[in-house]
Amino acid sequence: MNWRRFFRRGETDREQREELDFYVDVTAEEYIERGMEPDEARAAARRKLGNAIQIREEVYRMNTFTFLEGLLRDARHAARMIRTKPGFSAAVLLSLALGIGANTAIFSVLNAVLIRPLPYPGSEALVGVYNKIVIQGQIFEDAALSPGMYAASKESARAFESFGVWSPGAATVTGSGDPEQLVAVTATQGVLPTLGVPAYIGRWFSNEDDSPGSPETVILSYGYWQRKFGGDRGVLGRTMVIDFVPHQVVGVMPRNFRLVDVAPDMLLPQRFPKIGLGPEEFSYNGIARLKPGVAIAPADQDLARVWKIWAEMEGGGETLQAFHITPNLRPLKKDVVGDVGSVLGVLMGALGLVLLLVCANVANLVLVRAQSRQQEFAIRAALGAGWGRIARELLVESLTLGVAGGALGVALAYAGLRVLIAQGPTSLPRLDEISMDGTALGFALVCSVGTSLLFGLAAVLRFGIPGRIQSARGATQGVKQLRAQNGLVVVQVALAFVLLVASGLMMRSSFALRAVRPGFTHPEWIQTVRLRIPEALTADTEQVIRTQSEILRSLSSIPGVTAAGFASGLPMELEYHNGFPIDVEGRTAVGKVSPNRAAKRISPGLLAAQGTRLVAGRDFTWEDVRDHHGVVLVSENMARENWGEPRNALQKRIRQGKDSPWLEVVGVAEDVHAYGVNQPAPATVYFRAGGRSATFAIRSERAGTEAFVRDVANAIHAVNPNLPLAKVRTLNDVYRGSLARTSFTLVLLGIAGGMALTLAIVGVYGVLAYAAAQRRREVSIRVALGAEPNALKWWFVRKGLLLNSIGAAGGLVLAVGLSRWVASLLFGVTPLDPLTYVASGAVIFAAAMAASYIPARRAASVDPMETLRSE
Amino acid sequence: MVQGTLDMLVLKTLVLGPAHGQTIAHAIEQGSEDVLQVEHGSLYPALFRLRNRGWIAAFWGTSENNRKARYYRLTPEGKRQLAAQTSRWEEVVRAIGRILNPVTEKRG
Repeated sequence: MNWRRFFRRGETDREQREELDFYVDVTAEEYIERGMEPDEARAAARRKLGNAIQIREEVYRMNTFTFLEGLLRDARHAARMIRTKPGFSAAVLLSLALGIGANTAIFSVLNAVLIRPLPYPGSEALVGVYNKIVIQGQIFEDAALSPGMYAASKESARAFESFGVWSPGAATVTGSGDPEQLVAVTATQGVLPTLGVPAYIGRWFSNEDDSPGSPETVILSYGYWQRKFGGDRGVLGRTMVIDFVPHQVVGVMPRNFRLVDVAPDMLLPQRFPKIGLGPEEFSYNGIARLKPGVAIAPADQDLARVWKIWAEMEGGGETLQAFHITPNLRPLKKDVVGDVGSVLGVLMGALGLVLLLVCANVANLVLVRAQSRQQEFAIRAALGAGWGRIARELLVESLTLGVAGGALGVALAYAGLRVLIAQGPTSLPRLDEISMDGTALGFALVCSVGTSLLFGLAAVLRFGIPGRIQSARGATQGVKQLRAQNGLVVVQVALAFVLLVASGLMMRSSFALRAVRPGFTHPEWIQTVRLRIPEALTADTEQVIRTQSEILRSLSSIPGVTAAGFASGLPMELEYHNGFPIDVEGRTAVGKVSPNRAAKRISPGLLAAQGTRLVAGRDFTWEDVRDHHGVVLVSENMARENWGEPRNALQKRIRQGKDSPWLEVVGVAEDVHAYGVNQPAPATVYFRAGGRSATFAIRSERAGTEAFVRDVANAIHAVNPNLPLAKVRTLNDVYRGSLARTSFTLVLLGIAGGMALTLAIVGVYGVLAYAAAQRRREVSIRVALGAEPNALKWWFVRKGLLLNSIGAAGGLVLAVGLSRWVASLLFGVTPLDPLTYVASGAVIFAAAMAASYIPARRAASVDPMETLRSE
Repeated sequence: MVQGTLDMLVLKTLVLGPAHGQTIAHAIEQGSEDVLQVEHGSLYPALFRLRNRGWIAAFWGTSENNRKARYYRLTPEGKRQLAAQTSRWEEVVRAIGRILNPVTEKRG
């Protein structure tokens, strides 16, 4: 037996027929020659040959795989069934498409974000290099490196094949057209070789590039190169003015190049002075490629050795000990992906449950349909069809439905992903890598086949096994049939309950987040713009603050502006958050390193512009700034922690480390949830304004409108036309961004919960409607004998509610068991929140009530005479 | 008809040269002096089987009365098989003969 013959079996049969026809013709001719009548001769020739059809069949069987042949026939049969039962098919295909589509979409995201390797060659060997720091018993896993640590590690770490540090930032390009602020990454020479992504044209940074004193260089991104230079290869060697200093272009990175989680417009060399690197300033992200065969734990030990030697030589031992600093390497993927894994895991789980629900629902439909075909099965069994034959047909039908539904689902998933990518939720890393690849398609196929087998098996177990095929003639309701369906409904209700609880918990978290007073008011009225005044423009730091205050005055005169100020960073601008150890007079023991506090530099009027209340004391004044008064503001929780009452904080003194002067607390501001409303408000110290970079906050009801943004730009350029504007947005954008992950999860879990509820309602309704239709005759007789229609109605409703209660009880157990998986996504609500459980139960109960009542009423309102006559 | 003998008879018939199905059927029927009465149809699956084994080959030709017909001829492998099967057949026949006529055996 071979495939070539299988595919030629039709042709072979035609030839065989020709050959047999030839036999008959030739033999008949011989008979005619012997004197027979033509008709008689042909008949005699046929007799001589025997049964031609049987001969052809015998040859055909030698050419085919009987099983496969049967499968194909069953599939054709199934396709015909799908066409001829449009209602049933539409219901099944739609549920399958939704279930499989949703799962495939989420899996594609999961696959792109968590499973696929990072887009760097040999990416398993890449690690992020961080410090683990312990402050007041609290562990920070991802403190960055200091320049000293970098230099020491580069010099003597043995576990690394290559190593570098980098930090994201901004750079200003001037000299051609409007000044432009771009996303820039400063990186040491080792960063690009570590990633192993070759330059598209030109070269990486050399050791010379990151030595101070050598000519400044820059590497461009593909996008910026295209945008600014039209993809001209002659760009190498050209000079660009970046931050008012000429830089020579030495390379262009390939398209889609990302440095961990940043897509920079340009890379600048990170230059550290060769000597005098202090132990402070932990602000550089380390990245390394481990030598082949080196695991993370030994690399950690190696680095700990290096840092110990470094600390002894540079005198950083005290710092190292005070903060319990230990090296903390981790796979680079973790840096890129962050903690989105838990969200995706929960969503995948939720949608998996929805798929199970779909499965149960379809199984129900298939059971009902198979029930109506019981007579057909019985006849076929009587004619000699084996149970295997019928079972196979049922399975092939299910598979055909499943695969067709899966194909629709893949189309849905594809469309859904396009929408998702277009929406571009900021909380999803590696968004641009999301696509439907072979793995995702394979997953969809497995889902399709898996679900088909599940719901196909339901029908087979019910009808397709020996002893189950029997005449359905005259049978009323199959008790077993109803038992199977009841079981499926119970499962559906249980799963729907779990999903309702999950989306309910997310909803409560979302409300809780929105109810948090973030420490600022009406973020939609706060226009923000980030400005940096570069050294090349103003060398004098006094001049910097004068320019900033001038800009502030200019901004304040815009019509509709009620308040304005600036700060080193606004709430939720995590990229600018900063912290220092703060000594409190009379409380910090001498010789001890004090705890780290969030620190901001703010201008007078900023708190008013933010809408942050002063709890006690006063705001900064311009005199404080101009005359360098030693004053400081603190947050309410900082004040309570150290002095009990906010009022008591006034006139107390704090300082930034033992070498700084004492500063007097003159005001206490309300707590600000600066790291996002889902994080506790950090204890914060507000220093008076200073520094070259600042985010301006301008409060106006016109914020965010194009006209207002133009007014802001004009006001700033009236002071200095060369200043580029960055991060032009309202604080609301930032605020909403911090809610984005919860919203994203909420929306998707909400969809899953909604689907689950709908499916469960359909399930309950379907089973009761079916049971009611089956018992129509019985009900008619009862009514004819004088049964109360109302009592009958409640009999059906009670049945629905009973199924529902069993399902809900199962769901409760399941939900309690599964709730810890969502715990990490919740805010302000426990995973066992009673309100959510009760509400979910109530929703399920109401839905079941509605779904039971309609078929019950219909069943009870039958006209007994008509029914009995028609049966 | 004894299992496998039809195959052997077909091969034997084809030793004389290529022939189509009808000729083979008649040749077998007549050669055995009508002792072996075959339903001629049962020949065709046998032909197909032999063709798949590569013992005979088929080709389309023109019959004596100018019609398109499928002819069969013996392949070298078929010749080998015929020789092997014939000698095995003769052994079997001799063995059966010895059992049926033990007296002759003693005398000889």
